[in-house]
Amino acid sequence: MSTTVNHDLQVRLLAPSTGVESLDSVLSMTDALSEPFSASRRHTLAQLSRMILKDADLRADAGSVALGYWLRKANIDRLTEAFQRRKEAEPDIVFVPAGRVFHVAPGNVDTMFVYSWALSSLCGNRNIVRVSGGQNPILLRLLDLLSRLMQEDPELAGGNRFLTYEHNEKISEALSRWSTHRVLWGGDETVSLLRMLPLSPHASERAFGSKFSYSVISISGYLEAGIEEADRLAAGFFNDVFWFDQMACSSPHLVVWVGAGELLDPAISRFHHSLEKEIERRRYRGAPSNAIHRLNFVFNLACDTNVTADLSQKEFLAIRFPDAAELRKEICGAGVLTHVRVDDLAKVAELGEERDQTITHFGFSEMELRDLAERAGARGVDRLVPVGEALSFEPVWDGYDLIGDFLRRVSVRVKGRSA
Amino acid sequence: MIASPALETLLSAAPYSLPQWDKRALVTERTRELTRHHYEHCELYRNLINRIFGGSKALDFATLEDAPFLPVSLFKTRELRSVDQSAVVKTLTSSGTTGQAVSRIYLDAPTAQLQSRTLVKIMQHFLGVERRPMVFLDHAGVVRDRRSSSARAAGILGMLPFGRQPFYALRDDMSLDIDGLQEYLARTRDQRPIFFGFTYMVWQYFVEVLEQLPLRLSLPDAVLLHSGGWKKIEALKVSQEEFRQRLAAVTGIHNVIDFYGMVEQVGSVYFENPLHFLHASIYSDIIVRDTNTLEPLPPGQPGLIQVISALPESYPGHSLLTEDIGVVEGCDNPATGMSGQYFRILGRLAKADLRGCSDTFQKPVSISA
Repeated sequence: MSTTVNHDLQVRLLAPSTGVESLDSVLSMTDALSEPFSASRRHTLAQLSRMILKDADLRADAGSVALGYWLRKANIDRLTEAFQRRKEAEPDIVFVPAGRVFHVAPGNVDTMFVYSWALSSLCGNRNIVRVSGGQNPILLRLLDLLSRLMQEDPELAGGNRFLTYEHNEKISEALSRWSTHRVLWGGDETVSLLRMLPLSPHASERAFGSKFSYSVISISGYLEAGIEEADRLAAGFFNDVFWFDQMACSSPHLVVWVGAGELLDPAISRFHHSLEKEIERRRYRGAPSNAIHRLNFVFNLACDTNVTADLSQKEFLAIRFPDAAELRKEICGAGVLTHVRVDDLAKVAELGEERDQTITHFGFSEMELRDLAERAGARGVDRLVPVGEALSFEPVWDGYDLIGDFLRRVSVRVKGRSA
Repeated sequence: MIASPALETLLSAAPYSLPQWDKRALVTERTRELTRHHYEHCELYRNLINRIFGGSKALDFATLEDAPFLPVSLFKTRELRSVDQSAVVKTLTSSGTTGQAVSRIYLDAPTAQLQSRTLVKIMQHFLGVERRPMVFLDHAGVVRDRRSSSARAAGILGMLPFGRQPFYALRDDMSLDIDGLQEYLARTRDQRPIFFGFTYMVWQYFVEVLEQLPLRLSLPDAVLLHSGGWKKIEALKVSQEEFRQRLAAVTGIHNVIDFYGMVEQVGSVYFENPLHFLHASIYSDIIVRDTNTLEPLPPGQPGLIQVISALPESYPGHSLLTEDIGVVEGCDNPATGMSGQYFRILGRLAKADLRGCSDTFQKPVSISA
């Protein structure tokens, strides 16, 4: 690694919170790697979980609460058990950390950087995590907790740097060269910007481009559901849509109704009614500019396409494409829902595109869903989960096994093959 | 001009002479006519009414609050016209910082005439019928340079016909030409000059500069018209009261009139009344809506401002939802000496930062004045 060229490059360290430092001093991290899923690293995550769930500001933020629960001991133990099973299934493999991981976190989901880092840290790596430099209070609070934890956790402090810098190719390049594995979250623009920067010839990379996610709901299945079930669905759908202002990769933008056209109106009417009830129950008020943001999007869309809209809705704006053939899979965010109807799940699969990520579903059998996964997955869909779980983070993301990414597999054969 | 008894009545009355609810009835009737007119003559508008407002039944609204509206930014992305291109005599464009889309507003001769007729009536209400000497707190280059078709140039050009002997008080480098100004004021003594400028420029290049000079102007009969919003001034922590006080201290000008208007609705401009609120004339009205639900709000509650104008015939800009936040402060108040309702602008709606996946590295934004 060349250290002499980096002496004039500076980054701002957020955890540990030592402020502006030269890139050289950041890269001079010397802490040793740990074995994967070590007790001390698991303990660190459990500590962080406790701190998040105790923090008044973060407890008020649904995304942070979800993160806090995800990091708690029981969940990390489950991941550890899965790792044990992986080892048992492959007795000839010794798993070691990938080494030095450079994470570029997305700007839209404040908690994402923690998930990416936590998995990599569990796997025993050293980490440099670049977060967006914005003034986001949730992000800053999480970093503050990490800084505090570092003061009593030398292993955490020694092997991890959370930092930010304005887009600067030289810094990104130096961090890329340092890394043995690079993870790019944050969509097409970031990926195309950073992919050009060379890695060490031995390094690996995982990149997450921009995604489009949607829901599929069975018209008859939905209309047959009792009021309680319909309300539960609305509560789940509310979380999927309104957390992160509908701007996470897995936030649904489109509801594909599957079934006969005659029952579409009553289904949508019931759906809107229960979603409105849920919005009222939670006394949800989005950012004041969300309504204008939705209007600007929908008026422009309605100039070009034969959609219908209903402006009477509060905190969301639903539009309908009378003809699925005219559907446009465009992202607005801030509560725009697009409804479209198709005859059957095979038609849903035909809508699939490479950038599709999560399908949330309601009212289908396991067989139907497996069949959809096979057909739609071949076109790009990565994940089918029940409505309400769009945003739950999983170690397999966009179809990739992140834990596998953060580890290296060393084969050990004791005896020669011919023996 | 579309034959309209409602408009005839409005045009024959003085701009602040009708009680709010008489005016509201006439403006509502006129808005129904305009909505139908644009529905019939502008295909894009018709499509929007059909797709978003439920079709032609939306044309028969009973109250102004139920009138269809367009978000004002639509004029930045779409060509909205209700007359043939050949009938367009003038295309107005909004200001906009470099790289931003600008609104394009298409005027035919009847709409342009309507706009200047009502603008004259509003101006005369405040300035009298006599044309007075006019001092622009800007430099002459801003109107000479055709490339800078800025809001500043448009404002000055729109104001020119209401004054005489225009004088530009700033030099090209924005420094105050105090000798030239004093000489001009001596020449036009006792003729009650009109000063005009953009609020932040009045402050930065006139008031603050005069405060540094060892001289005070004495212009008790002059009037200052200014516009452009308080955002830049408020960033300097200067309130409207302080603005008026410090201006009066260095110039002796006590008659200060702020106004609120937009390129999308020229002619139905909102002037500051004696209580220092923005007053709707009979050619226009406002509705304040909840930012989140878009429900109409009662006076006293701040929200998004929807502006209604009785004038636009050549483009469907008669009912627009702006991105300005304001609050209705009163109505038909004898203390103002004017009928109709008045309001205050609280600022521009703060845009939430809706970050997509792809905004990990935000591009540096250059800020231009």
